[in-house]
Amino acid sequence: MKKLLLYTLLLLFCLYSLVFAEEYKFELSETEKKPYQLGGYGEFRPVLFGLDRNAALYKLKFYNRDEGRRIEEYNFRLQLEGSYEYGIARIFGRVNGDLSHTYQGWSDETSLYEGFLSLKPSNSFTLDMGKKTLKWGKGYAWNPVAFIDRPKDPDEPDLALEGFWVLSADFIQSFSGPLKTLSFTPVFLPVLERINDAFGTTEKANLAAKLYLLLYDTDIDFIVFTGGSRSTRYGVDFSRNITSNFEIHGEFAYIEDFQKRYIDSNGNILSSTNDTVSYLLGVRYLSQRETTYILEYYRNGTGFTKGEFQYFYQFVDRAYDNYLATGNDAPLGKALNLSQGNYGRPNPMRNYLYLRISQKEPLDILYFTPSLTTIVNLNDPSFSIAPEVAYTGITNLELRLKATFLVGGGETEFGEKPNDYRIELRARYYF
Amino acid sequence: MKKFLLIFIVLIFALPAYALDGTQLLKQIDRNLNPESFEMYRKLINVEPDGRKKEFVLFSVKKGLDKIAALFLEPASERGRSTLRLGDNMWLYIPNVGKPIRITSLQSVIGGVFNNSDILQLDYAAEYDVMKVEETGNEYLLLLKAKTKTVAYDQLKLWADKSKKLPTKIECLTEAGMLIKTLYFKEVKDFGGGIVRPSYIETDSPLYKNYKSVMIFAKIQKKDFKDEVFTLTFMPNIDSLRK
Repeated sequence: MKKLLLYTLLLLFCLYSLVFAEEYKFELSETEKKPYQLGGYGEFRPVLFGLDRNAALYKLKFYNRDEGRRIEEYNFRLQLEGSYEYGIARIFGRVNGDLSHTYQGWSDETSLYEGFLSLKPSNSFTLDMGKKTLKWGKGYAWNPVAFIDRPKDPDEPDLALEGFWVLSADFIQSFSGPLKTLSFTPVFLPVLERINDAFGTTEKANLAAKLYLLLYDTDIDFIVFTGGSRSTRYGVDFSRNITSNFEIHGEFAYIEDFQKRYIDSNGNILSSTNDTVSYLLGVRYLSQRETTYILEYYRNGTGFTKGEFQYFYQFVDRAYDNYLATGNDAPLGKALNLSQGNYGRPNPMRNYLYLRISQKEPLDILYFTPSLTTIVNLNDPSFSIAPEVAYTGITNLELRLKATFLVGGGETEFGEKPNDYRIELRARYYF
Repeated sequence: MKKFLLIFIVLIFALPAYALDGTQLLKQIDRNLNPESFEMYRKLINVEPDGRKKEFVLFSVKKGLDKIAALFLEPASERGRSTLRLGDNMWLYIPNVGKPIRITSLQSVIGGVFNNSDILQLDYAAEYDVMKVEETGNEYLLLLKAKTKTVAYDQLKLWADKSKKLPTKIECLTEAGMLIKTLYFKEVKDFGGGIVRPSYIETDSPLYKNYKSVMIFAKIQKKDFKDEVFTLTFMPNIDSLRK
């Protein structure tokens, strides 16, 4: 009887061990490091646009065609990244491929987002050369001090961006006391005929530098950019936790001799050059119910005034009327060019407010996050409001459904966009 | 009167000595759990009520009392993310976003029952004072109180095995005494180098009914790192520490 009991207990223990091993397996192979890494994601993003047929930018886009009240768009993206490490050297590359089907048919674009060689002879020093994004600044939706980055889209601030060809280094030093960390990042950015030519004036050398301090538990960056491709500019940013669930951040940029090109209502291109200031102030707050609030105010000193932007809309209306009367679409072509330049960049005016509220896992639904985002143009005032739900419960699959409604009257930024609303699904699979 | 005075004096001297014992005991528990500076691998598993699981693999490095960093190796959607803690400061680096952002201890970068402070756990003695030690059978029960308001849980009840001086269970409580979660330390294992400690932690929470999360430990090794490793600028390079 005792033996039987012993065998039963032994069997139960073995079964338990087996079940346990099955349930919570952690193979040592999962911790092994390979010299190379390959990964990325594939994405499918269908979008439905509800068109605003009275808006200025609708007229500009669809003046010679009728696409009805709604248009659909199907976007596919493949982003691949890989790295190879050998000793102190590491090569990293990220390639982005987009394939879209819009009312204009199929189009595709492939870009090298990043591709650089990194040398790290010690933990205190890194040297990078190649195409790289630096993403300076502390703001979530905007970064006025990101002097050598492409502007990010406040609607999708987390998306990877294409970098520039640079030579950069990081020197890091740690201390005990109020100053815990000091790091210095100098960057050399040449602009030549086919290298970084989107950055600014070509055949010029540019230098930028960032000094980072962790001082009294506050992140502080001092930033400077100078060179022939853009005017000299200085920046400072900070970020600090006031309490464990309340963070404040800010950025301040001083830009010398900023040249602004704008038009009057007749389409004459005017230009002015001034020193200008841009800044951002923001807070991030996590409530006890695990709701996250991000609130930011952005003063865009390089932006257009309300009057300057109204001139643009008036010019578009005149060009459209002229086209209807004469069939001449040349003025519309000029307006289209402008809308693809400065007038078409995200949030091109002077004063904006950004608010994002997201609730982590409401009703105990794990990996489910509903959010609401609004961007308000304080000069118009017009705004966009975007409710969304995201689900990440299936390993490596991210699902997001987002609707964006644009609200504003005539001659306002959001009121004159070509669509009233946009509904999109984004399914992204990582591998 | 003399007797009363004597008892009073003995009590006065005995109380700090007892508190000191509690602190020493907690420090001993910390050292038995991990060396002061080390590297390790962990697998975090979130288990949903229907049995579905989501797994994360992390590489972590820690130095001294207040520096710890972790890098996500799996799944692919999280690969390359890293978190850094320097005392009360915590940051999250997401490769796509490209710059570290400040996060808080109560948030969870992975979802589920484990939050950031569980993933970036410092020594208990660095964050908590021992208020009371009780002996119950084969176990000690330590009542701990957070040293500052920035610590994720205001109070801990820590049960520790008397002979091994290792935790067996920890209840995490709010200032008002409400239970947030319970951690169960299981399967003591020899990791080599004199490190003998529980090899996994299971947790459940009344806030997430029928959900549980598990943290499995592997390759815990004593190792020293330069302070520069625990900086914002180094966050994209944590993988270079793996051999």
